[in-house]
Amino acid sequence: MSEKKRIPVVPSRLKLLNEEGTEGVLLGVRCRRCGEHFFGSVVFCQNCTSGDLGPVELSNHGTLYSYTIVRRPPDGWRGNVPYILGQVELPEGPHVLSEVVDCPLEGLKVGMALELALLVGGEDAEGNEIVVYKWRQAKP
Amino acid sequence: MAVKPQREVVVLGVGLHPFGRFPEKDLTQLAQQAVVEALKDASVGWNTVQIAYFGHVYYQGMSLGEATLRGLGLTGIPIVNVENACSSGSTAFWQAYWGIATGLYDLALAFGAEKVPKGPVAVTAEDSPERLIGADHMMAGYALRARRYMEEYNAPSEALAQVSVKAHDNAALNPYAQYNKTFTLAEVLESRPIADPLTLYQCCPTSEGGSAAVLCARDAIKNFAPDNGRHVTVAAAALATGTYSVRGADHPALNPYRKEASDQAYEMSELGPEDVDIVQVHDAATIGEVQQLEALGIVPRGEGWVATQTGRTRISGDIPTNTDGGLLAMGHPFGASGIRMIHEIVTQLRGEAGPRQVKDPKVGLAHCSGAGDVTTIHILKK
Ligand SMILES: [Zn+2]
Repeated sequence: MSEKKRIPVVPSRLKLLNEEGTEGVLLGVRCRRCGEHFFGSVVFCQNCTSGDLGPVELSNHGTLYSYTIVRRPPDGWRGNVPYILGQVELPEGPHVLSEVVDCPLEGLKVGMALELALLVGGEDAEGNEIVVYKWRQAKP
Repeated sequence: MAVKPQREVVVLGVGLHPFGRFPEKDLTQLAQQAVVEALKDASVGWNTVQIAYFGHVYYQGMSLGEATLRGLGLTGIPIVNVENACSSGSTAFWQAYWGIATGLYDLALAFGAEKVPKGPVAVTAEDSPERLIGADHMMAGYALRARRYMEEYNAPSEALAQVSVKAHDNAALNPYAQYNKTFTLAEVLESRPIADPLTLYQCCPTSEGGSAAVLCARDAIKNFAPDNGRHVTVAAAALATGTYSVRGADHPALNPYRKEASDQAYEMSELGPEDVDIVQVHDAATIGEVQQLEALGIVPRGEGWVATQTGRTRISGDIPTNTDGGLLAMGHPFGASGIRMIHEIVTQLRGEAGPRQVKDPKVGLAHCSGAGDVTTIHILKK
């Protein structure tokens, strides 16, 4: 039997930098024509439709654009209930939606600084652990 | 607008199957009842209909439009199944309109129906990574918009909840609505939290129901139906998807403002937001109604919540909105909702809305949005 591995939830959005999956970087593309950045993969630039795109590593921090507390998730969610869903704006522009962890509800504030947190969010059919990009309050 | 209508199109008749829960019926029965009602309302024989478009979303078998209409008699006409998320029904209506306006057909049927499963609605398939990330949750999406809106414009959560109070007041006057119960502001705010700041009564229910409309070229009415003076003119039919928006308040994840669709609709009808006497907008959650009234230019940006709080959107107000209860209280069977809005506007313009009749409306606007940044806008006039 092959050994269980830690794998990124969507390889075009997250690259893991160690086997434990505790370090990683968010991935995206940058349009060489208009300069816009996109999280994950796009085939053509969503802004100017240029096909002249290059891969980039995006920041591992951003600010909280909006948030909600999900009380009843749809099927397929394996984490805690309720959970905080944050919409985080990266310095490059793209918004990244994911759970905000280790944050008391009363500490949530639009505009607050957040940083990337990598946590196991589930398993695939082969038993590999799927690492999901999440957010936590940035250390001051 | 690249294509121009070649002739005027009218709605001859509309029909509904009540919205609610009907475990004893399948989807085709809901749809068929609405179609039969619409044909009757139009005084049109089924065997004269030349094309049919059926809006629905959830997979409950193949070729459901054909399965529905089979029961009325096999006439050999083209039947097209349409999926465009919550805008499926209004997209079917849009296709029927343009089929006639461009001269391909004289008489068309648009109908929609749905049996939405219970539980939270998600856009992606169950094995999508979005589910594991926790980002795919329709009401959470509305909640994110609501939270940011409240921050941007200092809107209190009471103002959003007031949309639901009004919706239920209207639905209580509508025998086809899923809910006929009214709620106080406190009851809306204290109902079960779904995705903060949205509570249960600020989110549309999961619903079943059907709707239908019969459309005809004005110059061909005499070939199909008696002139009973109840025909309503379709002044505009616009469908658009998202364009790339800049960051900040225009971010599409916050604000699916689709100005393209309203610009098209106003240009086509030669009418403006100031001419609209009655509005149906996509209020899947309370924040939806507030933001869409702004997107349509009916109220200034950032002031939608004020219009609600001051009663302007009530049936007695100057911009009566979602007069039949809207998605929030009439219910939201996805494929049926778009044509349900058309049904309400036609009923109101005819002066047949009974206890929820708006005083002498001349122009009505129906706005539907759907996942994938779909926006449909129809303007109807007397
Ligand atoms: Zn570009």
